[in-house]
Amino acid sequence: MIGLSDFLIVSAGLFCVGLYVILTKRNAIQVLIGIEMMLNAAILNLVAFGKYDRFNNGGQMFALFAIVLAAATTAVALAIILNVYKKYKTIDPNEIHELKD
Amino acid sequence: MENFLQAIDTLTIRFALAAVLLPLLAFVVNVCLPGKSNKAAGWISTLAILVSAVLSIFVFSKVWNQHQVHQQQLWFTIGETKLYAGVLLNNLSVLMLLLVSLIALPVHVYSTAYMGKDENSKRYFAYLSFFCFSMLALVVIDSLVLFYIFWELVGFSSYLLIGFWYTRSKAVLANKKAFIMNRIGDIGLLAAIAILFTVYHTFDIDQLFGANALVRTTAFELPGGWQYVAFGGIALAVAAKSAQFPLHTWLPDAMEGPTSVSALIHAATMVAAGVFLLGRVYPVFTESELTILAIIGAFTAFMAATIALTQNDLKRILAYSTISQLGFMVMAMGIGAYSSSLFHLATHAFFKCLLFLVAGIVIHEMQHVKDEYKLDIDPQNVLYMGGLAKKMPLTFISALIGGIALIGLPLTSGYLSKDGILIQAFEWSEGKSVLFRLIPFGAMLTSWLTAFYVTRLIVKVFFGEFKLSQINPGIKLHVSDGGWQYKLPMVFLSVCCLFPAFSLNPVLYEHAWLLNGFPRITGLDRVNIYHTIVPAGLNILSLFVIYWAYAVYVMDKALPFPEGGWIFRLSYHEWYIDKIYSKIIVAPVLTLGKLARWFDINIIDGFIHLLERIGIAFSKVADWTDRNIIDGFLHLVASIVLGIGNFARSFQGGRVQYYLFSMLAIILAIFLFKILI
Amino acid sequence: MTMVKALFYLMGFITLASALFVAASKNLVRSVFMFFVTLLSLAGLYVLALADFVAITQIVIYVGGILVLVLFAFMLSGKETLANLQQQNDRFISISKLPALLLAVLFFIVMVNILFKTDINNLQWVNKAVSYKIDIKPDSPMTSNIGTNLMTTYLLPFEAISILLMMALVGAAHLSRKEKNG
Repeated sequence: MIGLSDFLIVSAGLFCVGLYVILTKRNAIQVLIGIEMMLNAAILNLVAFGKYDRFNNGGQMFALFAIVLAAATTAVALAIILNVYKKYKTIDPNEIHELKD
Repeated sequence: MENFLQAIDTLTIRFALAAVLLPLLAFVVNVCLPGKSNKAAGWISTLAILVSAVLSIFVFSKVWNQHQVHQQQLWFTIGETKLYAGVLLNNLSVLMLLLVSLIALPVHVYSTAYMGKDENSKRYFAYLSFFCFSMLALVVIDSLVLFYIFWELVGFSSYLLIGFWYTRSKAVLANKKAFIMNRIGDIGLLAAIAILFTVYHTFDIDQLFGANALVRTTAFELPGGWQYVAFGGIALAVAAKSAQFPLHTWLPDAMEGPTSVSALIHAATMVAAGVFLLGRVYPVFTESELTILAIIGAFTAFMAATIALTQNDLKRILAYSTISQLGFMVMAMGIGAYSSSLFHLATHAFFKCLLFLVAGIVIHEMQHVKDEYKLDIDPQNVLYMGGLAKKMPLTFISALIGGIALIGLPLTSGYLSKDGILIQAFEWSEGKSVLFRLIPFGAMLTSWLTAFYVTRLIVKVFFGEFKLSQINPGIKLHVSDGGWQYKLPMVFLSVCCLFPAFSLNPVLYEHAWLLNGFPRITGLDRVNIYHTIVPAGLNILSLFVIYWAYAVYVMDKALPFPEGGWIFRLSYHEWYIDKIYSKIIVAPVLTLGKLARWFDINIIDGFIHLLERIGIAFSKVADWTDRNIIDGFLHLVASIVLGIGNFARSFQGGRVQYYLFSMLAIILAIFLFKILI
Repeated sequence: MTMVKALFYLMGFITLASALFVAASKNLVRSVFMFFVTLLSLAGLYVLALADFVAITQIVIYVGGILVLVLFAFMLSGKETLANLQQQNDRFISISKLPALLLAVLFFIVMVNILFKTDINNLQWVNKAVSYKIDIKPDSPMTSNIGTNLMTTYLLPFEAISILLMMALVGAAHLSRKEKNG
């Protein structure tokens, strides 16, 4: 069988790529994608650990919850990004540094 | 009983203080009045002085020939020395109080008409009240320090009044001159006060010069020279204030002020202050010092009388006659005729005030004529006048009374006082050397000269034909005595010039009530022939002189000294004293000033420029140091701070990814820290 | 090397490679599609972790929901917006990205380090689960078990998340509406 550490290493790699994407991208949608990557890395961890709990299924259940929450987050985030673009004509998160009108 | 007496005394003091302070109140009220010219101003001042006069009469009646009233309070303390201030009412001060307020009253009434139409009448009355206040306070005060203060205030307020028409350059020059001359005297007085304090450790006039005068009972501690310095200071002060030689030249120039002011200055306030000072400090003088005073007085009297002979300016003649009469008073002080001197001060105040008021009316009317016909004449010049007796009878009679009193003919007050002085002068010089004999004879000669110039003045103004009409027949005179504000003061003063005001016996001065108020001296007893011969001879000769002058000026007889002779010129140019002053004092002072200026520009300024260059060089070095080293350091610090600030600021730039980055970096650092350690 | 292991490495490689491509890509649309690949291969990894229901959910919600939402979002917002959103002028590695790269690599090292330090394959509770045989076997019926758990043990989180989802939907709809009356 595949060891727990293999999943966790893949997950860590995915997490770090997501981190890099969040830090470097000048586009809010790409930043959002980075966030999704990190979420997925976390879900992968949950699933991998969930393999050792057959009755309560905690890992898988929370993986499901996390997926659903990520969906909701993405929907709201996209709506916000579009509104921000309407207002500032840019979606570079570094240039949107004024919260006032 | 004692309490009752004390209560009376307190009341008297309060009345005296009220009499002094009322003019000050009038001054304050007048200053606060709106506008430049206010009819109320004149009446406020007049009312104040009227009440002052009434209070003065009361105070006089309480104190005169009774006991002296003296109350004082602790003023302030310096170290061990306690300074008291208070009111000292003795015969001398109540006499002066009465005299000043009584003379000031008609002058005020007269002024309401004379100055009422002036555009700055409010200021005039404010000054006038202030002047009266200063003089009244000077009279009653008991501390030499306060005495000095009011002495200065009298000088200062007269300065204001002489320069009342400050737009006229002559008035400004005159008041400047008066002020500077008086400053010289003030220095003398200050020095004398300082010396007296050093010796006796008190400023109290009563202690110093009163009944148990310290100056008599205590030995003079300082070396003998200082006694003469103190005397010199007082003499200088008296000479400046009372216009004695050599500091007399300001008084004729002071005629630039309003005539009513001249009346006040000449009669009771300003010039009387000098004689009053003599009266106050009299015990301090030694025999020889008194002799010097007598010589100064006699010389001044003679000189001023000779100058008055040839002057053409109406007010200038009167001014020189004042100087002459003041000379008499100082001389009387010098020869020990203390009471006669003050008696003469009192009588002179009345008739000189009267004469000035008359002069004021005449000048006023002449000014009208001048304005009406647009003539280019000096309204004060007697040569343009004449024949005014018919037009202004009351003025003429007043002038006549005043003139006779000034000459000193019997039936007038002037006779009583002046002849008293002359008699005592003769008595004093008896048994002394011939040189001392010059003093009484000089005074007698002065008396005749007085008769001459007074006659000349009255004849020129009131007799004969109106000169301007002779030159220009078109000029019609319609002048008059003026309103009641003119007439009332003249009548009042005229009455006061007659003998009943001072003595019921018109011939014998010894009976004058005023003389009894002061220490009796031998001169008051009819012990020798002078008491008969001097008045008789004097007056008979005076009558001759008067007739002579009348003859010269009305009947056009030949002059004793032809015009243009050196004696005439000497007199006309006022003994060249002003010119000598300007040559000897003013010119050298100016030269010194120029020299100082040259020195200042070339040497001091050069030195200063050198300093300036050195300073600039230093400052350049300092500048370089400042810029490159100190500023460099500061800039270094600033840039470090700025760098830190910018670095810190970059974390707060609102850039989300930087926030995230720094947050993650810190988390990573914690992890690394955990792993490695 | 079993088939399962080979599949796992394949899937892991695809996941990481596509993720790296997403990070490196200059084109937004391309990176979105590469992310699609990442998610699919992740679903494969879930299957290999014996979580087939989660894998299906992953495909349905992520691939079918979120990615379509992303694509729709900028396809519906007009040409200009699309051009703007696509603008990408960065290189994969540049000086300005070096700190971020360093940070990511360090994070990776730290995490791997921790994994090996804790000896993740021999965790106490994992070993206990294996020895009690309560770990999931490939033939265990998991879907019905999940359904039972969802309605019993995890009912409260389930309801909470449904309310949260509704709030998120309403919020998203409110934010993206055309402002005509507001």
